[in-house]
Amino acid sequence: MFKLGKLYTLLLATTILSAPALAADPIKIGVVTPLSGTYAPIGQQVRWGLELATKEVNASGGIMGRQIQLLFEDEEANPSVAVQKAEKLFESEKVDFLTGTVNSGSTLAVGQTAERAGKLIATTVSFADSITGDKCSPNVFRVNARAGQQSAALAAWVAKQKPKAKVYFLGPDYEMGRSTVATFKRTIEGLGATSVGEVFAPLDSKDYTQYFGQLRQARPEVLYTSVAGNDTVRLLTQMQDFGLLGNLLVVGASGTVTSQNIGAIGAAADGFTTGVGYSTQIDNPGNKKFVADFKAATKADPDLYGADSYGLIYFYKAAVEKAQSTATDKVRAAMADLKWATPQGEKTMRAGDHQAIQPMYVVRVNSGKFNIVGEVGGDEAIGPDECKRF
Amino acid sequence: MRSASSKDASAFLAFDRSGLAMRASHVLVVILVVAAFGFAAVGAALNDTFYLRLATEALIFGGFALSVDILLGYTGLLSLGHALYFGFGAYVSALVLKETPSFWAAMGAVLAATLVFGFITGLIANRVRGVYFALVTFGIAQVAAKAVYNTRALGASDGLIGIPIVPINLGFMTVMSNAPVAFFLFTLVFVILLYVAAAYLLDTSFGRILGALRVNEHRVPFLGYSTHRARLSIYVFAAIIAALSGALYPMLRGFVSPELMFFTTSGNAVITVVIGGVGTLAGALYGSVILTVLKSVIGTMTEHHLIVIGILFMAVVIFLPKGLMGVIRPRIARRLRGGAR
Repeated sequence: MFKLGKLYTLLLATTILSAPALAADPIKIGVVTPLSGTYAPIGQQVRWGLELATKEVNASGGIMGRQIQLLFEDEEANPSVAVQKAEKLFESEKVDFLTGTVNSGSTLAVGQTAERAGKLIATTVSFADSITGDKCSPNVFRVNARAGQQSAALAAWVAKQKPKAKVYFLGPDYEMGRSTVATFKRTIEGLGATSVGEVFAPLDSKDYTQYFGQLRQARPEVLYTSVAGNDTVRLLTQMQDFGLLGNLLVVGASGTVTSQNIGAIGAAADGFTTGVGYSTQIDNPGNKKFVADFKAATKADPDLYGADSYGLIYFYKAAVEKAQSTATDKVRAAMADLKWATPQGEKTMRAGDHQAIQPMYVVRVNSGKFNIVGEVGGDEAIGPDECKRF
Repeated sequence: MRSASSKDASAFLAFDRSGLAMRASHVLVVILVVAAFGFAAVGAALNDTFYLRLATEALIFGGFALSVDILLGYTGLLSLGHALYFGFGAYVSALVLKETPSFWAAMGAVLAATLVFGFITGLIANRVRGVYFALVTFGIAQVAAKAVYNTRALGASDGLIGIPIVPINLGFMTVMSNAPVAFFLFTLVFVILLYVAAAYLLDTSFGRILGALRVNEHRVPFLGYSTHRARLSIYVFAAIIAALSGALYPMLRGFVSPELMFFTTSGNAVITVVIGGVGTLAGALYGSVILTVLKSVIGTMTEHHLIVIGILFMAVVIFLPKGLMGVIRPRIARRLRGGAR
């Protein structure tokens, strides 16, 4: 009997000792994101957004009383590196959740690694439709808007401004450029517009004037373009020099005119319109507080990557609290159709393809600034569920 | 150095110097294999996954570095686009495995396809010498990588995912490509076989022609040998070694992406060979293990890991121009010579 009593005491002691230790164990979230190289500025926004939200959540008591701990790894925007780092976080650090991947290749590859490791990941940046489309995975979630949503929002706005418009397309001649043009063309034709021509210019083209003859002859009312970086600078300034910008609505992909090239484009950028998932101008109290806090913490404005990464922590928090667990299956079930608050307002995670539904915004350049000129409801922009795996 | 004495000088004559150095390389590879078995045992005991799979990746890239060393160290050809063949092997293997998850079918397809592909690209690259060779190989790889990057059937910039876990039927047993210990040991044996094949080839009279090519290419035709044929043959051989290593990559990671063909991959292999020791074969394997482990460890500590690797590379070039093997191998060679006497 004495022995048994001792055993009980021992058991009791270990329960008392281990129970609070368990509750205080941090929830580990791995972040595999580019911290060096070309995509480092995006990784920086991801990091700032995640850190700000983590600080807020931890200050208000964490998730179910557990603090969040972020573990960063540099993926160099290279899927082979990303997969290796993700495996390190899953297997060695035993993280509960993983996020941060930027380029779509990394997200897809890390998603597969997560699936094989029985863990969940979410991307806050990658916008390739395939991630929640034909290459969807039960272990991968996307809290940011995909390319199709940006394009749908823009198309809906254009159709309202110029019903049955004649649209011309000018894209960069590579896979991504051709697929963005194809997506927008399909969407806008579905809304009653007619295509009057398309042309694909090589990346890094110096001279776009060679295409202006066909462009003028087609007499379009709307020009859609998905060129980016310095190509946009040359395209728009050359169009301005040739007097093509009058009476033509120029719209494009969200990466066409950015804070990086808007200065160089100058007045030629005025009137350029695009669809985005986030803008610092969004007029709601949540966003105003977020922008102020973000600026105070980092001395920089948040962009959509910072905002979506910030929102992700609240997404995970809501899911874990709903599931009352960090176990993969329970959290996955909790994430289905979950609604949570973000700087963009309330988002919903669609159960069918793990794509977040959110309101989309149409922004237009005026004297070097993006102004919100329209809003498209989440349900209008989301598009069909094309995921067949689950 | 004891080699100043006349005794040692006579011993020198008795042994072919390069043969001795090569045997020292073999000893170092045996040490690596023994260490790998020890590592596998520890990994299995601790039920580890990450480090075993990281080591497997190090061996795969070691096989790739081996092929760069065959060109750079033994033939004097600096290829800045050799990742083309590594990536080619990876893509061919991935495409075959997606159709039919058979290891042998994938390997057969990679071997056959690389023979043709290496021959065609080799014809182009071997028209020029020296720095132009480096530039042409770089160019071919960039063109191919961009083509893959923009080809939807090959997954374009997203790469290909969903490569199944492969059962490797060895006759007496079956190794699953997702079993950390078994696949590590399989990769070890596979890469050692590549090493043995390369070491054997370089020890034949054909290997001597390559050495002559490196030292003085203009003289070789006077001895009655075709330089062009020798260069092309070794180029294709190196391409096959790289592609066979690359073929293992999708089995380990389950995906391929165009980054595998990019200059970063080619450049890393050259750095690996320089750190390990150019023209030693064993150095490529050691270099790959060191670089992979360093990158993983330093990468976690700081995001400035590329600076650390860069400084390490410069330090090796300045202070250890013959790489790690330049320090270790002569000691082994001395012991071998002492033992043989």
